[in-house]
Amino acid sequence: MDIITQLQDQLDEMAMLAVNTFGTLQRDVPTDRLSNSYSDPLNSNPKPEDDSKPQVQGQPGAPPPPPPTAQVQAQAQPPAYNLSEQPKAMSHALVLAAKKFDALVAALPLSSEEDQVKRIQELQAENEVVGLELQKQLEAAERELKQVEVLFNEATDNCINFKKLD
Amino acid sequence: MAMATSSSYPPPPPFYRLYKNFEQDPSSAPEPPPPIDGPFKALGVDYTGDVVIPSLESHNVRQLYPKGPNIDFKKELRTLNRELQLHILELADILVERPSQYARRVEDITLIFKNLHHLLNSLRPHQARATLIHMLESQIQHRKEAIEDIKQ
Repeated sequence: MDIITQLQDQLDEMAMLAVNTFGTLQRDVPTDRLSNSYSDPLNSNPKPEDDSKPQVQGQPGAPPPPPPTAQVQAQAQPPAYNLSEQPKAMSHALVLAAKKFDALVAALPLSSEEDQVKRIQELQAENEVVGLELQKQLEAAERELKQVEVLFNEATDNCINFKKLD
Repeated sequence: MAMATSSSYPPPPPFYRLYKNFEQDPSSAPEPPPPIDGPFKALGVDYTGDVVIPSLESHNVRQLYPKGPNIDFKKELRTLNRELQLHILELADILVERPSQYARRVEDITLIFKNLHHLLNSLRPHQARATLIHMLESQIQHRKEAIEDIKQ
């Protein structure tokens, strides 16, 4: 695939990565607590068995609570790994895409328009010259072929006549 | 089971009759039509004859890279890439601090993308000329090889 198409595709990929990054963050971020008088949206389950509750409240980026109450907790709590690792991975992908774009730009074989037009004219002239020579060679080869054919026919005629006299 | 009420397709154009004796006598058939000069109409749409990339101003888009006859494409592409990354970061910051003001930033990012695509589109004529050069070179190469083959 040619390099300009690769550059265009790389741009599209950067746009897609940016949009996906922001969209995923908006979708996955846990809801904020507006005031202390409202219930905590992260953990609205008021069960007395949770001694890990204070750990959960107000810390959306905290690691998941210890295993015994893990199952009840994990359902009420959004998965914490999303918030620290996924944005890092997505922004890493975005930066990699930008670097690839830069590398492709560096690999562009650019030259000025006048240089190109001059080169095209030179090549056209050379093409004509070579074409004429090719035509000359072809004609010479055809003449030679005809001569060889004529001689061959003569030789075969002589052979046949020679045989008849026998 | 064929439908009795199917629509019939238009018949093929009647030009094929003109090529009846093409194999025996190629000159009896008409020449291909010459290329058209100037504006023409095709399938109900008007086209002009020249192949010109419309400038950004004709699409009401602000041009971010400097105008001029000779644009340093590599430098401008790299500059715009940096600007793009910066604007994405700014958008992330704005969404954290003042989320209601995202629209301006998103517009800026859109503008940068449009400029980048326009720059890449302007590289296409250069690519066409480079392809032409490559074709001429390979044609010359083939002809030289044929000459060598005939000589031997």
